[in-house]
Amino acid sequence: MKIKHIMCTFFSLMAIVGLMGCKDNNNNENNNITEKNSSVSDTGTNIVSSAPNNGKIQSCTKELFAMDTYMTVTAYGDNAETAVSESLKEIQRLDALLSTGSDSSEITLLNNSGSAVLSEDSRYLFEKADSIYKSTNGAYDITVFPLMRLWGFQGDDPSLPTETDIKKTLELVGMDRVKYDNGKITLGSGQSVDFGGIAKGYTGDRIMKIFEEYDIISGVISLGGNVQCYKIKTDGSLWRCGITDPNDPSGMIGKVEVADKAVITSGGYERFFTDEKTGKTYHHIMDPSTGYSADNGLISVTIVSRDGTLADGLSTACFVLGEEKAVEFWKQHSSEFDMILVTDNNRIIVTEGIGDCFSSEHDFEVVEK
Amino acid sequence: MNKDTRKKSKADVMLIAGLAVVGIFLILYLLLFSGSGKIVEIRVDGNVIKQLPLDTDTVYDINNEYGKNRIVIENGEAYMKEADCPDGLCKNMGKISRKGQSVICLPHRLVIEIKDEQVSSDDVDVIVK
Repeated sequence: MKIKHIMCTFFSLMAIVGLMGCKDNNNNENNNITEKNSSVSDTGTNIVSSAPNNGKIQSCTKELFAMDTYMTVTAYGDNAETAVSESLKEIQRLDALLSTGSDSSEITLLNNSGSAVLSEDSRYLFEKADSIYKSTNGAYDITVFPLMRLWGFQGDDPSLPTETDIKKTLELVGMDRVKYDNGKITLGSGQSVDFGGIAKGYTGDRIMKIFEEYDIISGVISLGGNVQCYKIKTDGSLWRCGITDPNDPSGMIGKVEVADKAVITSGGYERFFTDEKTGKTYHHIMDPSTGYSADNGLISVTIVSRDGTLADGLSTACFVLGEEKAVEFWKQHSSEFDMILVTDNNRIIVTEGIGDCFSSEHDFEVVEK
Repeated sequence: MNKDTRKKSKADVMLIAGLAVVGIFLILYLLLFSGSGKIVEIRVDGNVIKQLPLDTDTVYDINNEYGKNRIVIENGEAYMKEADCPDGLCKNMGKISRKGQSVICLPHRLVIEIKDEQVSSDDVDVIVK
């Protein structure tokens, strides 16, 4: 009897140890595949640095809080660490240059004085903004800034302004009243501008250039949810970008697989408030023609393009345009970008160029040229 | 000799039965309690301050120089229950459960992110929002 008991216990223990061993092995294997983050802080910025993931390819991921949002930069290659550090410096440089929240930025100085000779970066941004303004018939307009301030979307506590105030402020809006000649800019009386709608896209483009300079073999950045992918993944597959569900920001409406592309979404779900009196919800994407939140049937617009600055500006512009006009606009510019639209009755519309790389659990329509 | 064999087979039966019982309990335990393996990582200023399993209901309070936050893990989802930040945006960011999803409280430099060591086919590399 005793022997039996001992044997039973012994074998049982063996079985337990055996099973537990399996579990541990699995975990170990996974650890080898997955990048392990160690938290190392350096150069005084807020960053997470990660160790090389498999001994062959150097990788580096760092995060920081800038441009009123949370950003992560990941690069693979021999110079990954340097490339990512340089990227963070570039983000901080552009933030200091373009921020409307800083008293000393080039844009604040311009808004205060009404005229300026623009730096190289701001020149590029202004010209790009002007070209999107013209091609979209004013759906994207950097002079909506006074409206944004009136509504309080720049601050912590946005609220519904009076109709009179909206009308009054709307008179200040219109990029056609800005005079621009080869870097010399003069705003119309009372006007102020904000490059916030394209600054992150431009920052992404700048980081792609840094990746190129440092011979990065693969990389991905998320600047507050604005994603830009550099080349393909190190395993040879495309980057899989999940698109946030505008009805439930914790879910996804689908994913798009890309290489060398910016993927940028604008949605009313990002910043909004509900007015207590009217019970209506207002979001931060201003329609420059009405002075109110854009309300043209779309709840999310995702632009896929090689050009991050363009993608950023167009995500706002197409949101304001609404489905019909946005599709019309795409047909004329289909070589420059593709898009994924979600309408307020939950249809998903995808343009031809990414029809094959978009996948979703939901039904979606593919628009052809 | 004959007696010996009989004795052995009896021991064998006991052993097999014992192992079977232990095995069944172990399998049940692993199925029920080992969970998804997903981790809720909490970072302040880029430094990991806590890692919690997503499958265990937890309330985690943060009180530092930036302010107060209450993170709740409930039914396999994590969310910001309370925050004394000026904009309160983090409380509207919804509940997260998928790998790579995050809730961010900018004023408090706080990031909650779902991490998963398991690789699955419907994963994405990055989330656009």
